[in-house]
Amino acid sequence: MVAGLRYFTDRSDDGAAGAPLLDTVNGEELMHVQPAVSIVLSNHPPESPGTLYISTKQVIWLSDTERTKGYAVDFLSVSLHAVSRDPEAFTSPCIYTQIDTGDEDDESENSDSESNETFDLSKITEMRLVPSDPNQLDALFEVFCECAELNPEPVEEDEPEEHNWIFSADQLGPAMGIIDGVDQEWDSSQTHFTTIGHPNGDHDLARNVLELQINDQRFEDAEEMESNNRNGGQQ
Amino acid sequence: MLFFSYFKDLVGKEVTVELKNDLAIRGTLHSVDQYLNIKLENTRVVDQEKFPHMLSVRNCFIRGSVVRYVQLPPEGVDIELLHDATRREARGG
Repeated sequence: MVAGLRYFTDRSDDGAAGAPLLDTVNGEELMHVQPAVSIVLSNHPPESPGTLYISTKQVIWLSDTERTKGYAVDFLSVSLHAVSRDPEAFTSPCIYTQIDTGDEDDESENSDSESNETFDLSKITEMRLVPSDPNQLDALFEVFCECAELNPEPVEEDEPEEHNWIFSADQLGPAMGIIDGVDQEWDSSQTHFTTIGHPNGDHDLARNVLELQINDQRFEDAEEMESNNRNGGQQ
Repeated sequence: MLFFSYFKDLVGKEVTVELKNDLAIRGTLHSVDQYLNIKLENTRVVDQEKFPHMLSVRNCFIRGSVVRYVQLPPEGVDIELLHDATRREARGG
Protein backbone atom coordinates (compact mmCIF):
# COMPACT_ATOMS: atom_id res chain seq x y z
CA MET A 1 0.00 0.00 0.00
CA VAL A 2 1.20 3.47 -0.89
CA ALA A 3 0.71 6.13 1.74
CA GLY A 4 -0.81 9.38 0.60
CA LEU A 5 -2.23 10.44 -2.72
CA ARG A 6 -1.27 8.77 -5.99
CA TYR A 7 -2.06 8.93 -9.69
CA PHE A 8 -4.81 6.65 -10.90
CA THR A 9 -5.16 5.66 -14.55
CA ASP A 10 -6.69 2.17 -14.49
CA ARG A 11 -9.96 2.73 -16.24
CA SER A 12 -12.34 0.48 -18.08
CA ASP A 13 -12.50 1.00 -21.83
CA ASP A 14 -16.20 1.68 -22.18
CA GLY A 15 -17.10 5.26 -22.95
CA ALA A 16 -15.02 8.39 -23.03
CA ALA A 17 -14.43 8.49 -19.30
CA GLY A 18 -14.30 4.90 -18.16
CA ALA A 19 -15.01 3.82 -14.63
CA PRO A 20 -12.03 2.92 -12.44
CA LEU A 21 -10.87 -0.68 -12.41
CA LEU A 22 -11.15 -1.89 -8.86
CA ASP A 23 -9.43 -4.73 -7.06
CA THR A 24 -12.59 -6.83 -7.08
CA VAL A 25 -10.59 -10.03 -6.70
CA ASN A 26 -9.68 -8.89 -3.20
CA GLY A 27 -13.21 -7.81 -2.39
CA GLU A 28 -13.09 -4.14 -3.33
CA GLU A 29 -16.54 -2.82 -4.17
CA LEU A 30 -17.80 0.44 -5.54
CA MET A 31 -19.91 2.19 -2.89
CA HIS A 32 -20.77 5.52 -4.42
CA VAL A 33 -20.40 7.49 -7.63
CA GLN A 34 -20.72 11.25 -7.61
CA PRO A 35 -20.65 13.02 -10.98
CA ALA A 36 -19.67 16.66 -11.43
CA VAL A 37 -17.09 16.94 -8.69
CA SER A 38 -14.02 19.12 -8.90
CA ILE A 39 -10.92 18.38 -6.88
CA VAL A 40 -8.55 20.74 -5.10
CA LEU A 41 -5.21 19.41 -3.94
CA SER A 42 -3.65 21.52 -1.20
CA ASN A 43 -3.59 25.08 -2.57
CA HIS A 44 -3.53 24.14 -6.23
CA PRO A 45 -6.24 25.44 -8.54
CA PRO A 46 -9.38 23.29 -8.80
CA GLU A 47 -9.44 20.61 -11.46
CA SER A 48 -12.68 19.79 -13.22
CA PRO A 49 -14.87 18.36 -14.51
CA GLY A 50 -14.50 15.01 -12.88
CA THR A 51 -16.30 12.13 -11.26
CA LEU A 52 -15.81 10.90 -7.73
CA TYR A 53 -15.78 7.17 -7.09
CA ILE A 54 -15.81 5.88 -3.54
CA SER A 55 -14.97 2.23 -3.07
CA THR A 56 -14.66 0.11 0.04
CA LYS A 57 -10.92 0.76 -0.05
CA GLN A 58 -10.22 4.11 -1.63
CA VAL A 59 -11.37 7.45 -2.90
CA ILE A 60 -10.83 7.95 -6.62
CA TRP A 61 -11.31 11.10 -8.63
CA LEU A 62 -11.17 10.79 -12.41
CA SER A 63 -11.16 13.58 -14.93
CA ASP A 64 -14.10 13.46 -17.34
CA THR A 65 -12.06 14.83 -20.19
CA GLU A 66 -8.54 13.44 -19.81
CA ARG A 67 -8.39 9.69 -19.57
CA THR A 68 -4.89 9.83 -18.15
CA LYS A 69 -5.80 12.16 -15.34
CA GLY A 70 -6.96 10.78 -12.05
CA TYR A 71 -6.05 10.61 -8.38
CA ALA A 72 -6.67 8.09 -5.67
CA VAL A 73 -6.06 7.78 -1.98
CA ASP A 74 -6.64 4.78 0.26
CA PHE A 75 -8.96 5.24 3.20
CA LEU A 76 -6.05 4.07 5.30
CA SER A 77 -4.35 7.36 4.46
CA VAL A 78 -7.37 9.60 5.03
CA SER A 79 -6.74 10.94 8.53
CA LEU A 80 -9.79 13.11 8.74
CA HIS A 81 -12.73 14.13 6.64
CA ALA A 82 -15.27 16.83 7.20
CA VAL A 83 -17.97 18.92 5.60
CA SER A 84 -16.72 22.42 4.99
CA ARG A 85 -19.31 25.11 4.36
CA ASP A 86 -17.68 28.33 5.51
CA PRO A 87 -16.98 30.52 2.45
CA GLU A 88 -14.15 32.22 4.31
CA ALA A 89 -12.15 29.02 4.43
CA PHE A 90 -13.00 27.88 0.95
CA THR A 91 -15.13 29.47 -1.73
CA SER A 92 -17.42 26.48 -2.23
CA PRO A 93 -18.91 23.99 0.18
CA CYS A 94 -16.86 20.81 -0.01
CA ILE A 95 -15.69 17.62 1.58
CA TYR A 96 -12.41 18.49 3.24
CA THR A 97 -9.90 15.70 3.86
CA GLN A 98 -6.50 15.48 5.44
CA ILE A 99 -4.14 12.93 3.99
CA ASP A 100 -1.48 11.10 5.92
CA THR A 101 1.55 10.98 3.66
CA GLY A 102 3.59 8.90 6.07
CA ASP A 103 6.13 11.72 6.01
CA GLU A 104 6.76 13.57 9.26
CA ASP A 105 8.08 16.84 7.82
CA ASP A 106 5.71 17.22 4.90
CA GLU A 107 4.27 20.49 6.10
CA SER A 108 7.12 22.78 5.10
CA GLU A 109 8.02 20.91 1.93
CA ASN A 110 4.42 21.04 0.90
CA SER A 111 4.24 24.81 0.99
CA ASP A 112 7.45 25.02 -1.01
CA SER A 113 6.14 22.92 -3.81
CA GLU A 114 2.80 24.64 -4.04
CA SER A 115 3.94 27.29 -6.47
CA ASN A 116 5.29 24.74 -8.93
CA GLU A 117 3.29 23.70 -11.95
CA THR A 118 4.06 20.04 -11.48
CA PHE A 119 3.87 18.80 -7.95
CA ASP A 120 4.72 15.80 -5.91
CA LEU A 121 1.54 13.95 -5.00
CA SER A 122 3.21 12.29 -2.05
CA LYS A 123 3.48 15.74 -0.42
CA ILE A 124 -0.21 16.57 -0.69
CA THR A 125 -1.74 16.64 2.78
CA GLU A 126 -5.10 18.21 1.98
CA MET A 127 -7.73 17.35 -0.58
CA ARG A 128 -11.05 19.08 -1.17
CA LEU A 129 -13.83 17.51 -3.17
CA VAL A 130 -16.34 20.03 -4.43
CA PRO A 131 -19.61 18.62 -5.76
CA SER A 132 -21.52 20.97 -8.04
CA ASP A 133 -24.57 20.13 -5.95
CA PRO A 134 -23.79 21.11 -2.34
CA ASN A 135 -26.87 19.22 -1.14
CA GLN A 136 -24.90 16.03 -1.70
CA LEU A 137 -22.30 16.89 0.93
CA ASP A 138 -23.95 15.23 3.90
CA ALA A 139 -24.59 12.04 1.96
CA LEU A 140 -20.98 12.03 0.77
CA PHE A 141 -19.78 12.58 4.31
CA GLU A 142 -21.73 9.55 5.48
CA VAL A 143 -20.32 7.37 2.70
CA PHE A 144 -16.83 8.50 3.72
CA CYS A 145 -17.57 7.56 7.34
CA GLU A 146 -18.92 4.17 6.38
CA CYS A 147 -15.92 3.33 4.21
CA ALA A 148 -13.40 4.67 6.70
CA GLU A 149 -14.81 2.25 9.25
CA LEU A 150 -14.30 -0.59 6.79
CA ASN A 151 -10.58 0.13 6.79
CA PRO A 152 -9.09 -0.24 10.25
CA GLU A 153 -5.34 -0.30 10.63
CA PRO A 154 -4.16 -3.65 9.27
CA VAL A 155 -1.85 -4.59 12.12
CA GLU A 156 -2.66 -2.88 15.35
CA GLU A 157 -6.44 -2.60 15.44
CA ASP A 158 -7.22 -6.20 16.24
CA GLU A 159 -4.36 -6.56 18.63
CA PRO A 160 -4.90 -4.25 21.59
CA GLU A 161 -6.81 -7.02 23.35
CA GLU A 162 -3.86 -9.33 22.88
CA HIS A 163 -1.54 -6.65 24.17
CA ASN A 164 -3.23 -6.23 27.50
CA TRP A 165 -0.57 -6.58 30.09
CA ILE A 166 -2.41 -9.36 31.93
CA PHE A 167 -1.82 -11.65 29.02
CA SER A 168 1.89 -11.60 29.58
CA ALA A 169 1.11 -13.72 32.64
CA ASP A 170 -0.02 -16.50 30.33
CA GLN A 171 3.47 -16.72 29.02
CA LEU A 172 4.84 -17.34 32.51
CA GLY A 173 3.26 -20.75 32.63
CA PRO A 174 0.00 -22.63 32.62
CA ALA A 175 -0.49 -22.08 36.36
CA MET A 176 -0.84 -18.34 35.83
CA GLY A 177 -3.34 -18.73 33.05
CA ILE A 178 -6.14 -20.16 35.18
CA ILE A 179 -5.89 -17.58 37.90
CA ASP A 180 -9.24 -16.07 38.66
CA GLY A 181 -8.71 -13.49 41.34
CA VAL A 182 -6.04 -11.28 42.74
CA ASP A 183 -5.57 -13.34 45.90
CA GLN A 184 -4.94 -16.53 44.02
CA GLU A 185 -2.51 -14.71 41.82
CA TRP A 186 -0.51 -13.72 44.87
CA ASP A 187 -0.62 -17.24 46.28
CA SER A 188 0.60 -18.71 43.10
CA SER A 189 3.43 -16.26 42.65
CA GLN A 190 4.57 -16.99 46.18
CA THR A 191 4.67 -20.69 45.43
CA HIS A 192 6.51 -19.78 42.34
CA PHE A 193 9.08 -17.85 44.32
CA THR A 194 9.59 -20.73 46.76
CA THR A 195 10.34 -23.05 43.93
CA ILE A 196 12.84 -20.52 42.68
CA GLY A 197 14.45 -20.50 46.14
CA HIS A 198 14.58 -24.27 46.15
CA PRO A 199 16.93 -24.76 43.24
CA ASN A 200 19.26 -22.25 44.90
CA GLY A 201 19.78 -24.73 47.71
CA ASP A 202 20.13 -27.59 45.28
CA HIS A 203 22.58 -25.66 43.25
CA ASP A 204 25.30 -25.79 45.89
CA LEU A 205 24.65 -29.45 46.30
CA ALA A 206 24.95 -30.04 42.59
CA ARG A 207 28.16 -28.05 42.45
CA ASN A 208 29.66 -30.06 45.29
CA VAL A 209 28.82 -33.32 43.59
CA LEU A 210 30.35 -32.02 40.40
CA GLU A 211 33.57 -31.01 42.16
CA LEU A 212 33.68 -34.35 43.81
CA GLN A 213 33.39 -36.12 40.53
CA ILE A 214 35.92 -33.97 38.71
CA ASN A 215 38.51 -33.09 41.32
CA ASP A 216 38.52 -35.93 43.74
CA GLN A 217 41.52 -38.07 42.97
CA ARG A 218 40.01 -41.00 44.73
CA PHE A 219 37.24 -41.18 42.12
CA GLU A 220 39.70 -41.43 39.25
CA ASP A 221 41.62 -44.13 41.02
CA ALA A 222 38.48 -45.98 41.75
CA GLU A 223 37.34 -45.67 38.15
CA GLU A 224 40.57 -47.09 36.85
CA MET A 225 40.53 -49.93 39.32
CA GLU A 226 36.97 -51.04 38.96
CA SER A 227 35.92 -49.32 35.71
CA ASN A 228 33.62 -52.00 34.39
CA ASN A 229 31.55 -52.23 37.49
CA ARG A 230 31.18 -48.47 37.98
CA ASN A 231 30.26 -47.68 34.43
CA GLY A 232 27.72 -50.41 34.37
CA GLY A 233 26.21 -49.14 37.59
CA GLN A 234 25.91 -45.54 36.38
CA GLN A 235 24.25 -46.27 33.10
CA MET B 1 -12.62 -2.57 24.43
CA LEU B 2 -12.28 -0.52 27.60
CA PHE B 3 -11.59 2.73 25.78
CA PHE B 4 -14.42 2.10 23.37
CA SER B 5 -16.92 1.63 26.19
CA TYR B 6 -15.49 4.56 28.05
CA PHE B 7 -15.64 6.94 25.11
CA LYS B 8 -19.18 5.84 24.36
CA ASP B 9 -20.14 7.20 27.75
CA LEU B 10 -18.67 10.55 26.79
CA VAL B 11 -20.93 11.00 23.77
CA GLY B 12 -22.52 14.43 23.87
CA LYS B 13 -19.70 15.92 25.94
CA GLU B 14 -17.04 18.39 24.88
CA VAL B 15 -13.67 16.84 24.15
CA THR B 16 -10.47 17.96 22.51
CA VAL B 17 -8.90 15.53 20.08
CA GLU B 18 -5.21 15.98 19.48
CA LEU B 19 -3.94 14.50 16.24
CA LYS B 20 -0.50 13.15 15.59
CA ASN B 21 0.09 16.03 13.16
CA ASP B 22 -0.39 18.48 16.10
CA LEU B 23 -3.81 19.61 15.00
CA ALA B 24 -6.14 19.84 17.99
CA ILE B 25 -9.86 19.91 17.40
CA ARG B 26 -12.41 20.71 20.06
CA GLY B 27 -15.98 19.63 19.65
CA THR B 28 -18.93 17.68 20.90
CA LEU B 29 -18.34 13.95 20.75
CA HIS B 30 -20.96 12.64 18.34
CA SER B 31 -19.92 9.00 18.18
CA VAL B 32 -17.05 6.60 18.48
CA ASP B 33 -16.60 3.12 17.03
CA GLN B 34 -14.59 0.07 18.01
CA TYR B 35 -11.54 1.36 16.14
CA LEU B 36 -11.78 4.58 18.13
CA ASN B 37 -12.65 6.53 15.04
CA ILE B 38 -14.19 9.70 16.39
CA LYS B 39 -16.96 11.88 15.03
CA LEU B 40 -17.14 15.41 16.35
CA GLU B 41 -19.79 18.09 15.93
CA ASN B 42 -19.63 21.84 16.38
CA THR B 43 -15.90 21.65 16.03
CA ARG B 44 -13.36 24.37 16.27
CA VAL B 45 -9.64 24.24 15.87
CA VAL B 46 -7.74 25.03 19.04
CA ASP B 47 -4.80 26.68 17.30
CA GLN B 48 -6.64 28.66 14.64
CA GLU B 49 -3.63 30.61 13.48
CA LYS B 50 -1.76 27.50 12.58
CA PHE B 51 -4.69 25.77 10.90
CA PRO B 52 -6.93 28.54 9.51
CA HIS B 53 -8.57 26.35 6.87
CA MET B 54 -10.17 24.14 9.52
CA LEU B 55 -12.27 27.05 10.78
CA SER B 56 -15.06 26.20 8.43
CA VAL B 57 -15.44 22.62 9.53
CA ARG B 58 -18.54 22.01 11.61
CA ASN B 59 -18.49 18.25 11.87
CA CYS B 60 -15.74 15.86 11.16
CA PHE B 61 -14.65 12.25 11.24
CA ILE B 62 -11.22 11.51 12.66
CA ARG B 63 -9.46 8.26 11.97
CA GLY B 64 -8.69 6.48 15.23
CA SER B 65 -5.13 5.72 14.22
CA VAL B 66 -4.18 9.39 13.84
CA VAL B 67 -5.37 10.40 17.31
CA ARG B 68 -2.61 11.16 19.79
CA TYR B 69 -4.64 12.31 22.80
CA VAL B 70 -8.23 12.88 23.73
CA GLN B 71 -8.65 15.55 26.38
CA LEU B 72 -11.63 14.69 28.54
CA PRO B 73 -14.04 16.91 30.40
CA PRO B 74 -13.22 16.64 34.12
CA GLU B 75 -16.84 15.81 34.95
CA GLY B 76 -16.67 12.89 32.53
CA VAL B 77 -13.93 11.18 34.50
CA ASP B 78 -15.38 8.87 37.11
CA ILE B 79 -12.34 7.53 38.92
CA GLU B 80 -14.24 4.75 40.72
CA LEU B 81 -15.82 3.52 37.52
CA LEU B 82 -12.50 3.56 35.71
CA HIS B 83 -10.82 1.68 38.53
CA ASP B 84 -13.42 -1.05 38.37
CA ALA B 85 -13.33 -1.18 34.59
CA THR B 86 -9.56 -1.42 34.38
CA ARG B 87 -9.52 -4.18 37.00
CA ARG B 88 -12.17 -6.11 35.15
CA GLU B 89 -10.29 -5.64 31.89
CA ALA B 90 -7.04 -6.71 33.54
CA ARG B 91 -8.61 -9.99 34.57
CA GLY B 92 -9.48 -10.59 30.97
CA GLY B 93 -13.19 -10.34 31.73
